[in-house]
Amino acid sequence: MARLIRTEKEVEGRYTEQWVVVEEDPLDRWPAGPLDVVGRPAARVDGLRRARGTARYTADVALPGMLHAAVLRSPHASARLRRLELAPALAAPGVRAAIGPADCDVFSEEAGYQGAPVAAVAAESFGQARAALALVEVEWEVGEPLLDPDEAVRRGQLIDEPDRYERGDVERGLAAADVVVEAEYRTATVLHNALETHQAVCAWEGDELTVHISTQWIWGVRKDVAKRLGLAPDKVRVVCEYMGGGFGAKNDPGDHTFVAAELARRTGRPVRCALTRREENLASGNRHATIQRLRAGARADGTLTALEGEFVMAVGWDGFVSSTAGPMKMLYACENVRTVELGAKLNTGPNDAFRAPGFVEGTFGLECLLDELAAKLDLDPLELRRRNGADADPVDGRPFSAKNLGECYRRAEPHWARRAEVRARSEGPWRRGVGLASQIWYGGGGPPSYAFVRVGSEGDATVLTAMQDIGTGTRTAMAQIAAEELGLPLERVSVSLGDSARGPYAAISAGSSTTPSMGPAVRAAAADAARQIIEIAAQRFESEERVLSLRGGRIVSEDGGAWTLEEVTGLLGDGQILGRGSRGPNPTGMRVLTFGVQVAEVAVDVETGEVRVERIAAIHDVGRVINPLGAASQVEGGIIQGIGHTLSEQRLLDPASGEALTLTLDAYKLPTIADVPEIVTELLDVPDEHLTSLGSKGLGEPPIIPTAAAIANAIRDATGADVRSLPITREEMLRALEEARERAYAL
Amino acid sequence: MPELVVNGGRFAVAGSTLKTLAETLRGDLGLTGTKVACGEGHCGACTVLLDGEPALSCITLVHAVGEREVTTIEGLRDHPLVEAFVRADALQCGFCTPGQIVSAAALVGETPAPSREEIRHGMAGNLCRCGTYPRIEEAIASWRG
Amino acid sequence: MSAPTLSRPASLDGLDGAGTPLAGGTDLVPLLRDGLVRAEELVDVRPLLPRGIEDGVRIGAGTTLAELERSAEVPAALAEACRLAASPQLRHMGTIGGNLLQATRCWYWRLGVPCYLHGGNRCHAREGEHREHAIFATEPCASAHPSDPAAALLALGAVLETTSRRLPLAELYRLPTDDDRRVTTLAPGELILRLELERPDASVYLKAMDRQRFGFPLVGAAAARLGGETRLALAGVAPIPWRLGSPADLDAATPLPGTAYKVELARALVRRALAAVAP
Repeated sequence: MARLIRTEKEVEGRYTEQWVVVEEDPLDRWPAGPLDVVGRPAARVDGLRRARGTARYTADVALPGMLHAAVLRSPHASARLRRLELAPALAAPGVRAAIGPADCDVFSEEAGYQGAPVAAVAAESFGQARAALALVEVEWEVGEPLLDPDEAVRRGQLIDEPDRYERGDVERGLAAADVVVEAEYRTATVLHNALETHQAVCAWEGDELTVHISTQWIWGVRKDVAKRLGLAPDKVRVVCEYMGGGFGAKNDPGDHTFVAAELARRTGRPVRCALTRREENLASGNRHATIQRLRAGARADGTLTALEGEFVMAVGWDGFVSSTAGPMKMLYACENVRTVELGAKLNTGPNDAFRAPGFVEGTFGLECLLDELAAKLDLDPLELRRRNGADADPVDGRPFSAKNLGECYRRAEPHWARRAEVRARSEGPWRRGVGLASQIWYGGGGPPSYAFVRVGSEGDATVLTAMQDIGTGTRTAMAQIAAEELGLPLERVSVSLGDSARGPYAAISAGSSTTPSMGPAVRAAAADAARQIIEIAAQRFESEERVLSLRGGRIVSEDGGAWTLEEVTGLLGDGQILGRGSRGPNPTGMRVLTFGVQVAEVAVDVETGEVRVERIAAIHDVGRVINPLGAASQVEGGIIQGIGHTLSEQRLLDPASGEALTLTLDAYKLPTIADVPEIVTELLDVPDEHLTSLGSKGLGEPPIIPTAAAIANAIRDATGADVRSLPITREEMLRALEEARERAYAL
Repeated sequence: MPELVVNGGRFAVAGSTLKTLAETLRGDLGLTGTKVACGEGHCGACTVLLDGEPALSCITLVHAVGEREVTTIEGLRDHPLVEAFVRADALQCGFCTPGQIVSAAALVGETPAPSREEIRHGMAGNLCRCGTYPRIEEAIASWRG
Repeated sequence: MSAPTLSRPASLDGLDGAGTPLAGGTDLVPLLRDGLVRAEELVDVRPLLPRGIEDGVRIGAGTTLAELERSAEVPAALAEACRLAASPQLRHMGTIGGNLLQATRCWYWRLGVPCYLHGGNRCHAREGEHREHAIFATEPCASAHPSDPAAALLALGAVLETTSRRLPLAELYRLPTDDDRRVTTLAPGELILRLELERPDASVYLKAMDRQRFGFPLVGAAAARLGGETRLALAGVAPIPWRLGSPADLDAATPLPGTAYKVELARALVRRALAAVAP
């Protein structure tokens, strides 16, 4: 039965309270551990299509008569448009339309960052559109850009009010400490660089708009586009069948969708607006840089008495202040905590969510500080963390729906115990060491989400839901869940997704929420279909429903009989069984979180500053694991992105003009296959008993969170050098080594 | 009109001298398995074979291909590496995957049983932002099934 | 920008100097498409360039980096410099002749900023962001030359044969000056045809980059020992490939604030390179 509840909705740690109509989730929980299909490794159901290049991405959509848009962007970080003349561009070969600030509200006469969109043209080819842009007559009044986040804070130029948090009494906590450590940590601005850039193809038919878009949220795009264009939501169809990566930057329609929609409206033809790689790295979002001034106090036995942090975030011209203080507030049972988060408004591109925004950065600071504390206390870093574990949410005292961090620590012990052996392998200039860091994050998902399951006379099943698979393998996970419930082999279940016209509402693929949000809805729909199959079987075979179940493609009776599924579904003829399911509520009054720990082993060449990550063991608790194969790949992917952020990736700006210098993938250095260490993944695979009928949480974000701190702590273990600034380039490593040498001389 | 040999078929080539092979494959021949992710030779998504050697189609001028035979992912659809990639789960979003497989085909063409080190060296020109590298390594190490 | 013509001549004989030669195209094609290099006529010389390795020391300019990387005959420094350069695709496409002529990776120059090297009046990197830039000859332009093989070939005493002359590799390069911003001495239409090296008793190339593969050199160090003499050369430290008389020459480096670490890096690599080729 439908129920109206007041609930907290959480996306990436941002909570909003709202009314939600939910349906109870009456299904029994599956037993823990691998089942027939769920919990067993499955190759991707769409793997062949992706591997053979036949999967159609937004980048591959070519509609008849389609035009190509190119966007004129501000070359200056701070400027005001003095004059804009589009007529010469409009007269250029192949150009069919040109629009500026008067025509479309994504364009502004004030450019607060380099790359701010100013105008656009649509032409028969992208080359013609690009060429026409060069003909636009444009004059700028160039201003002085503000690029220094500390200076922005001094001037009070902030995105949002400062976010202050306090519990207990930090002064008293510091006074009670036997040891206090204090340090400043910095993280660089890093760029998502999904290999498919942001893009959309918009096509009008009358007053109906179809948007093909590379997106993490089909229904969010539908809602935003309808609202902004003044359309009824059902007049907007959003399609994203295959998607080339997002990592948080594709949660909303973005400027490009509105540019394409407006140009398509004016020309009466479909219009593609796709960012180039350089535009992608200029104006499609980023993980903002941080400055973290942190302090921790502890008693001699390691009990934390105080944690304090000032977090300055280089948000950019727009965007949001990510919760960098989150780990400091939530990870440890410290009574006295005070944090302030300050979002600097700068003349740089707006940030966007990037895989555990805030927690990646905040965990780097906090978990490095904890190791500096452990060193002063002469305590084992793992033991220090154990002694400060929290049994309930330290912020509001709520119980955790499940917390197995202690078990993660226990499983980390054999990896942590390699310390002596790893250090002993130091030779010549190569010093080796081991470091660890804990992980805390959200990932419980939530309602609403819906799915249908359709079974035809041949006895195969199709899951229908208008969700998206952003590459995480959710198509496969949903097929596994439906197959398990229907007692079918995986190959007899297909999944139809990626089109708002072909299925019901589905949740955003962000905040590690796809599996925990969608999975229970798919299971409920499959269970509804299974119930109907059993009802028919009971009538056909004159049996009782309660003794029948579906297993191995058969209807099995406790009384001994068994029939193939087709013997029942064959009765349908052209009829179909339609199951429907929805996502029930999250447990009331509980904190649903994910936990984990990573242990990194590194080698540092102390003469050249080269850092090689040699091994990372990742132990995470995300509840029930649906597909261990895809889950391990998620963990590896998170760690590898983490290694990029830690060692080589940074957006660089000209310090005077604010112009971005690392727009291309030679200058902006993503990890290659040669940079990847041995990765050992261990997932606890214990269902969260309070969370849905699946007990599954999300896994997209947790693995990237502790990687940087684990590596930096391993570097300290290996060399004695404190690396407090990401990325740890050659110059940063050599600087830290020099600092450590000077400190040693001084002693 | 100059001709281009792609996956065994001959096609007429038209367009500007600065037109790239990738633009021709995707735009004119509809061979969209070849992806363009950076468009300037820094990521490997657009990799094709020219006479069996790996080449970046996004910075190859189509008019300079000449008589060299072009093989795209569509021409490798039944290569055992395709199955090996799926089996090893060597893909997530899949946008880089065709380029990875083409590069891997070139690698095993030169070195049929590459060592782990040779795989890491020979595949370093294909970026995967999802980070499926360990599985790509595994797929190539086990490509013969 | 109108597209250039593209000719595919049957031999190199008819080249008159008007056209821009195109071989592997790995640097030229992106530069053309970005409008950083302008050409009215492209001449596809790739099929015409001498290609191949004789005795490990005579090398056709059209030989690809991939061929040199795999060669068991060429001196170790050259094979290793090729092996650690770029990516597999770029090594299969790019020729050794073209590699010597590649333009700097300076981001200001690549993004078309009107800097000194583009004919402007100042080097934006000197005051700006320059962690990848030079430690020698940093004025008036602090760009760094990105070729790994060029450093190896300098140490190996390579001599070039072009369509019009023979010259030591060192004479291929020049520092940009107020009246001429080019970094090579190649005349318009002049093509590198062959390279000839001295066969060293031992040689090595060591490279520091921001990732394990597919990176331009922060510093590359080549050493080659011929009889009693050991020659050193560096990549990534000056607007052109840089000969180093001795390790002590690093004391004369004039790094920018953001490239000082490269001096330390170069010292370590040079020390190791010398140890590796020591008898």
